[in-house]
Amino acid sequence: MRRWWLLTITLAFSGPVAFAGLSFGQDIRLEAAKKEGKVVWYSSLAVPSTEKIAKMFEAAYPGIKVEAHRTGSQRVLQRVMQELQANIKNADIVHTSDAGHFVLLKEKNLLMKYTPAGVEKFPSGFKDKDGYYYGLRASLSAIAFNPKVISPTEAPKTWKDLLDPKWRGKLVTAHPGYSGFITTHILALVNQYGWDYFKQLAQNKLMLVQSANDPAQVVASGERPIAVNGAEYFFYQTQKKGNPIQIVYPKEGVPLVVSPTAITSFAPHPNAAKLFTDFTFTREVQQVLADSEGLYTGHPEVRYPEDKPKLGDLKLLQVDPEELEKRNQEIKDRFVEFFGA
Amino acid sequence: MPGVTIKGLTKRYGDVAAVEGLDLQVKPGELVSLLGPSGCGKTTTLRLVAGFLKPEAGEIWVGDRCLSSPITVVPPERRRMAMIFQSYALWPHMTVAGNIAYGLRFKKELSKADREKRVKEILRIVQLELSESRYPGELSGGQQQRVAVARALVVEPEILLLDEPLSNLDANLREEMRFEIRRLHEAFGITTLYVTHDQAEAMVISDRIAVLRGGRAVQMGTAEDLFQRPRSRFVAEFIGKTNLVDGIATEPGVVTRGGVRLRVASADLTVGAPVALSIRPHMIELVADHQIGTVSARGDNLLRGTVQRASYLGDAVDCQIQVEGSDVILRVVAPPGLRFRQGETVSLAVAPSACIPLVESAV
Amino acid sequence: MADRLQVFPSRLEGMDRSAPVWVMAALALALLILLPLGWLAYVSVSSEGSLTLAHYRKVFMDPRLQKALWNTVILAFWVGLASLAIGVPMAWLSARTNLPGKRLIRGLMMASFVTPPFLGAFAWVMLAGPNAGFLNKLYRNLTGAEEPLVNIFSMSGLIFVVAIYTFPYVFIMIANTLDLIASDLEEAASILGAGRLQVALTITIPMVAPAILSGFILAVLQALALFGSPAILALPAGFHTITTQIWALFHYPPKTEMAAAFSIPLLLATALLLLLQKKLLGRRGYASVGGKGGQRREIPLGFWRYPALLGCLAVMACSIFLPYGILAKAALSRAWAQPMTWENFTLANFWFTFFEYSSTRLAIVNTLELGIMTACVGAGLVALLAYITNRKIIPGHQILGFLALAPVVIPGVVLAVGLFIAYTRPPLLLYGTLGILFVAYLTKEMPVGYSQSDATFRGIHPELEEAGRILGAGRLRVLREITAPLALSGIIATWCFIFIGVIRELSASIILFTPNTKVMSVVIFDLKEEGQFGAIAVLGLFMLAVTFAIVVLMQSLLGRDFLGAKE
Repeated sequence: MRRWWLLTITLAFSGPVAFAGLSFGQDIRLEAAKKEGKVVWYSSLAVPSTEKIAKMFEAAYPGIKVEAHRTGSQRVLQRVMQELQANIKNADIVHTSDAGHFVLLKEKNLLMKYTPAGVEKFPSGFKDKDGYYYGLRASLSAIAFNPKVISPTEAPKTWKDLLDPKWRGKLVTAHPGYSGFITTHILALVNQYGWDYFKQLAQNKLMLVQSANDPAQVVASGERPIAVNGAEYFFYQTQKKGNPIQIVYPKEGVPLVVSPTAITSFAPHPNAAKLFTDFTFTREVQQVLADSEGLYTGHPEVRYPEDKPKLGDLKLLQVDPEELEKRNQEIKDRFVEFFGA
Repeated sequence: MPGVTIKGLTKRYGDVAAVEGLDLQVKPGELVSLLGPSGCGKTTTLRLVAGFLKPEAGEIWVGDRCLSSPITVVPPERRRMAMIFQSYALWPHMTVAGNIAYGLRFKKELSKADREKRVKEILRIVQLELSESRYPGELSGGQQQRVAVARALVVEPEILLLDEPLSNLDANLREEMRFEIRRLHEAFGITTLYVTHDQAEAMVISDRIAVLRGGRAVQMGTAEDLFQRPRSRFVAEFIGKTNLVDGIATEPGVVTRGGVRLRVASADLTVGAPVALSIRPHMIELVADHQIGTVSARGDNLLRGTVQRASYLGDAVDCQIQVEGSDVILRVVAPPGLRFRQGETVSLAVAPSACIPLVESAV
Repeated sequence: MADRLQVFPSRLEGMDRSAPVWVMAALALALLILLPLGWLAYVSVSSEGSLTLAHYRKVFMDPRLQKALWNTVILAFWVGLASLAIGVPMAWLSARTNLPGKRLIRGLMMASFVTPPFLGAFAWVMLAGPNAGFLNKLYRNLTGAEEPLVNIFSMSGLIFVVAIYTFPYVFIMIANTLDLIASDLEEAASILGAGRLQVALTITIPMVAPAILSGFILAVLQALALFGSPAILALPAGFHTITTQIWALFHYPPKTEMAAAFSIPLLLATALLLLLQKKLLGRRGYASVGGKGGQRREIPLGFWRYPALLGCLAVMACSIFLPYGILAKAALSRAWAQPMTWENFTLANFWFTFFEYSSTRLAIVNTLELGIMTACVGAGLVALLAYITNRKIIPGHQILGFLALAPVVIPGVVLAVGLFIAYTRPPLLLYGTLGILFVAYLTKEMPVGYSQSDATFRGIHPELEEAGRILGAGRLRVLREITAPLALSGIIATWCFIFIGVIRELSASIILFTPNTKVMSVVIFDLKEEGQFGAIAVLGLFMLAVTFAIVVLMQSLLGRDFLGAKE
């Protein structure tokens, strides 16, 4: 016990998180969380980012392991539902990029009402009015191209530019059947242009990948030089690693994807889950998300890298989670209808 | 040293009887061959004796122990027998010495030193001293055979069973091994049952031979008995080459077929009954015209015939002769000095003692 | 069947301990096969308690599912033909001619045989993606052409990739058949005046024809059941096959009843094909008339010796050298599509995969655990079954043998759907545990394991056991001291076969896994969906390394020929 305290104190000074504000109540929760020993996190955040946050938490709270399971948003939901059907209660925290999921989960009484510490300062777009889920991060769904293959002058500037037949065989899209990011993206653009837009887009024979993070790799490798959608933060990360990729933020508007997180009502490790959720909403972690992952967040004090556009400078397209939930099946079906698989 | 007594033994597979009501007696120290064509039930009989199969009826006794009956079968390992298999069944994962010593493990009364001594001794007897630590896969067929023999003999079984042990060897080696097995039998004197389909092999090796057919013993006796006094058409044909002549007993000691009239070895035939005669080819003599007188004086049957075909075999001439006055064709083995042309007419002499009426003529 | 029972009597009679064995075996087989398939059939025709054909109607009226069905037919048929086109000439070359480097070819064939097809498909994405693919870039650089040489994201690309990992089945089948035909049979025709071509047309080909046809069917079966390759190559091109469609029907909200209804036709198709193959092979008796004893003389290739070798190596390059090479490159570079320079070189992928990515360790532990468990239980079970059927210990042993071979008709995806339905409800809630994967693997590997074991025990002459009995050893002692040591290397080989089969299994795992029961293949697939090429390459190479370690172990075990009796 003594050794453990010593460790914590050492870490408090050396680790990324300061413990200055630990109150008495949190102390009790920490003890309980330590007894639980781990927290199970179903996440749709990109693999390296998910792993990084897990490692940070484990460093800050030794003795509590993070069991992170990363897959696409739709797969996260599929896992949760399938497990419940088999009466398996495994997930503590669910985090996807499809806000509609949380509407669904809330309706089915599968979420715990919990307000993470410090979240009151976040803008309203990041908060569920009933207090069940909160936006952990946000990103944009943008266009990206490979400047080695397509000259920047020639590159598409707007969503409609992508419909030009000259891009036939040069485009890649991620899949709404896998990625909540893309479900959101599609709904935002459908609200803007209607389904016709996608029907026309499909004429250009797109390559289909699953994750919203995959187009970055496809574009960087040059397999398809232009991504018609995809997670902007992952484009950014790929670019930072020195890959040939440039991001386009169309003037007509860029879909903003807020990815909520929530604790499940059946969480086997509720205390650790609360601890972890609070941790992810601290300024420190939110800043890391912004710095190294290239994400946007709802935290007002977070500073963004110089080379990222300010959200205020862009026209943002947002979708209503309720509508997203209602039209989820329609989006997937029409997509398959147009694009084939 | 006990003998083996088999009484009314029956083994069926479904509706087919492999062995049916077999009776057989093996005297202590005797080597008896079970001889017959494939499917005659000889291997099944051996496996019944070994205890691998359970009979539907009958009993198998060794000495005063009843080992098999439809009610109980003493398992093979408690029968105090040894067996030499057609495939030799040498264990490829054990050395020659390991194979031979295996059966001794179950002789608790022997000390380790005794066992080793016995293995050495038997290796010497079968002339495999130098191969002791080799694996069966490294030995020639003949050597493997000797290992199999050694493995069976070293345990000094009460009964030794052999299942066509020579059939995998080539012809020269096989002849050699026949004498070898006979020699070992004489040296050890173990009561032995020997299964074979090779009549020559059975004749060389056995004290007595049981000829099996359709799951029954059709005749049992010494090699000489069987050869000279076959009781049935089947035995006569199976043991050695023979001429079979089907005729009618016209007198108690005479059998007639068409124009051929033969005085025979016995004088108690029922007149008017059909009789089959067995005449061995080498018992028929070809006689020159000037010898006919002497031959008839001896009381031999005298026949005339036409040479249909004659083949020179080196140590003999094998010919087929169409007997005058009948449809009988006789096969004759003559000394090699004689020369025949096809179509030549010759005289034949057959002693009455060579004309064996078969008791079970119909079979 | 009944007649056979009578003709081949039990060798070891008087076993009255058959009842528990029967009950155990029947129970095991029921849990493994009948229960899942029963549920599958039931769910496919039931709707809220009443029977209906609505699901089938829905499945077959849906144009998308029709398309998937049709795609699968095309894929399977062409894979069958392509496998023949590659496998038959190579088998003939290596069995009948003086081709140099035969050992090498056979060794590479083994490597191709054990390479997980989904890894091959993944490697071919990097090799022949129309724009970034290594080969296409090379082609463009050399010719200045605009269009790619090959587009792997297409039906023809998919057929190609599936075929280069399926043709070894044909190869093995044909090579074994050719080995059985003695040259005399061909020479008998030559001496009667037939020319070389005529000999081939009138003697050799008709004799191997059944093997060729059944090789074709085997390849078709493989292609029908495959999930990984179509998922990697067909989905990006915008088309489904039956297996990927069944998998997609499981996405939220799951349409289990549709998946079940879609599985049944696939099951029937494979069963039918297998039946056909059995018929063909059953009539093949004459192929072995010549027997092993016959002489085989090599046909001299003359000038064509080296061109033929080159051709064979080209094929192996497609299935081994190129894919392994590109995997190694991707594992060691920051950006797989960029040239291999110092700036691009990194070990970060290894570091990330083994030390940062938390799923790796879980998946490796799960995979090895499942591999070892399935291999141990499976090898034991099939050894028992094969022993029972070979020694005819209990009545009705043939049925056991048949059931052990039956799962060969069940594609992994279909089995998984059945298991999912059967074991997500009481009384046996296996979903979410390694248990359900264990059951799936055990069932899937049973036919391979059983045929291995069967061959093993067939090779142990019953007289070897009887010799022990008559010399004084009891039944168990004989089993321990004679049968077990003789069967050991065969059983270990079976173990290895099952283990290799398990660690590469994807098509059933992809439906049955849960986050805590991830296995390596699933993690690789997960990473593929995310586009993490470096990590996939690292894990793929790791999987190959484990596989080859096992293969080498197995060959050294089987190769050590102190079991000289086999020769």
